[in-house]
Amino acid sequence: MKQNTLSYKIKQYFMFAGPGTILFFCVVIVPFIYGLYLTFTSWDGVSSTKPWVGLSNYAAAFADKDYWAALGRTAIYSVFAVVLINILAFFLAYLVTSGVKGQNFFRSGFFVPNLIGGIVLGYVWKFVFNRAFVALGSAIAGGTAPSLLSTPNGAMFCLIVVSVWQYAGYMMLIYVAGFMSVSEDVKEASSIDGCTASQTMWNVTVPLMRASFVQCLFLSITRCFVVYDVNLSLTKGEPFGSSVMAAMHVYNQAFTYKNYGLGQAEALILFVVCAIVGVTQVMIGKKGEVEA
Amino acid sequence: MKKTLALMLALVMVLALAACGGKSGGSGSSSSATLTIFNSKMEIQSQMEEMAKKYSQEKGVAVEVYYSSDTVAAHMATRYASNDPYVLAMVDAKDIYSLGAEHAVDLSGEKWVGDTTQAISVGGKVLGFPVCVEARGILYNGDAIKAATGKDFDPSTIKTTADFQKLIDEIVAGGMTLPVGLQKEDWSLGAHFLQEVYELHDDPDAFIAGIKDGSIKVADDKVFNSLMDTFDVLKAYNYAKDAPISAEREVTEMMLAEANLCFKFGGNWDWSNMVGTNYTEHLGMMPVPSDLDGYNTKLVGGGSKYFFIDNTVSAEQQQAAKDFLNWLVYEADGQDFLVNQCALVPAFSNITLSVSDPLGASVKSYADKGALVGNYNYAPDDHYAKLGASFQKYLAGEIDRAGFADEITAYWATAEVGAH
Repeated sequence: MKQNTLSYKIKQYFMFAGPGTILFFCVVIVPFIYGLYLTFTSWDGVSSTKPWVGLSNYAAAFADKDYWAALGRTAIYSVFAVVLINILAFFLAYLVTSGVKGQNFFRSGFFVPNLIGGIVLGYVWKFVFNRAFVALGSAIAGGTAPSLLSTPNGAMFCLIVVSVWQYAGYMMLIYVAGFMSVSEDVKEASSIDGCTASQTMWNVTVPLMRASFVQCLFLSITRCFVVYDVNLSLTKGEPFGSSVMAAMHVYNQAFTYKNYGLGQAEALILFVVCAIVGVTQVMIGKKGEVEA
Repeated sequence: MKKTLALMLALVMVLALAACGGKSGGSGSSSSATLTIFNSKMEIQSQMEEMAKKYSQEKGVAVEVYYSSDTVAAHMATRYASNDPYVLAMVDAKDIYSLGAEHAVDLSGEKWVGDTTQAISVGGKVLGFPVCVEARGILYNGDAIKAATGKDFDPSTIKTTADFQKLIDEIVAGGMTLPVGLQKEDWSLGAHFLQEVYELHDDPDAFIAGIKDGSIKVADDKVFNSLMDTFDVLKAYNYAKDAPISAEREVTEMMLAEANLCFKFGGNWDWSNMVGTNYTEHLGMMPVPSDLDGYNTKLVGGGSKYFFIDNTVSAEQQQAAKDFLNWLVYEADGQDFLVNQCALVPAFSNITLSVSDPLGASVKSYADKGALVGNYNYAPDDHYAKLGASFQKYLAGEIDRAGFADEITAYWATAEVGAH
């Protein structure tokens, strides 16, 4: 049988990639298209009729001040969280590949937060912020110290801290792989050429690890933009609705306020924003990638 | 060989496609005869599960009870979006108005309709079965008050804000400097306290319409100011007044139950968190003090949590659900379940079992003498969240009363009251 005919190729494709393609189609493409359709309706989420309203949901989404405030807040949160996650993850990775005693233990230790679900993590930290820190603060300052979670800036700060704690270990693993992939040869060569340890680091190791940076930034940016679980369990959007992130606003809009079409339109805008940011970042990152 | 392989592949693909296109009737495991019940009262979930087992055995009907911590409306929306409704769903009153007309079975012909005043009718049809009566007001701990003032506490002596302030002064003089607890939750502030501003008007609809067309200034409204005066007293003596937004509901409830506080704004549902504490004997509920004659002697409340039967499930399931509702109202086991095991205040006049918890007993005594102001169930779904957030700002001292009134006015400029 010839192996370069079209029918052979199609058969081969379906044999190996068929199940995956079908699943992807069923759980991603179909819901996406259906969701797109819903943005053109004024469905309330429970009714059996879905009245067609054209583009008015998009007009409403662009006019929804709360949504844009939430999106702006998410952008600020993401900038802080992404930068801190990556700095911390990079140094943790450096630490656990530098040959300290018990580095395998540290590796798994730093990774554990990522294994705890975001919801549980949020409740655990809520307890820490509301009880442990308050008790500590009250003991030191006297009186009842307000919880960090009760002020708008404090709540944002808490969200960032918890996200960093959650994702740093995961990103660390990718950086660890990056560190390991840099061959000892080039490092040795650079030190023979007279580089100090930090020069080797910044001029040899880091450029060769560029792929890890691109990957970690992409993962952390996209995850931060759609953060929901930690947001829900840690702050629930409080105080005064000042920590409602974009995903939570979309959920409330669609399910709690029963504007399903509008919520769906806002979700789509969030998706587009997320995609633009993520793809731009990957494109910029890939451009300067060095082949070892 | 190759042909069989191709055939098998084709089969797998067809199956996979069929699986994602199919519409399943009931929820995954349950057959078409199962009575699926959605429970939205977290505190009675274990009782519900136990009851389901017993009921299944005695009546031969398979019963499954589900619970979700989601907002009720949101959970129902996801179930209807996945075309997988419950046979019998316990929802909030407002959900009956929003879902009922389209999804609920007409229950007008049921016997229990004649034994309650709290059933919900939409368009002339009875659609909602009242699960229980709940009411809002000031929770008090008579033992804590007595310890501070040295006198037995009689809630009927407190009517106006001035009476309340005077009593608090006595308590403060008696040694408890901060005797009040206030919740920061948006539902407590927005859906419970603020909502009283509408409910204590003779015509809440006219009041809201007045805000909308500008003929009523919230900041000048008598009811609003009177209730906010009382709220200011509560706020000034809040035990967590340095950090009101950090106060935790469970802690506040425990402090009240154990006589470390004298008052808390809340309702008889608070009992579920107090029953496990080392509570003292003389707990109860009284109306929110205000200068509104005729209203300051009444709690605000009524039917809370309603069952409705979905109209798309099989006739057999609908009948099973109707039988279940009758069992709750008319059979000794059902009444015992409602009143004794779940500690709910029944909404049916034929049930004479006495309510065991002190807050529920208070509510029942007010309900029995007709001293309940009805709930206003038609605020939009985002009302409690948006104005609850504004109320939180007021509680935290971020905005003053005028600022709060402005936010209420701004909210109603675009919000629409639900159909009723």
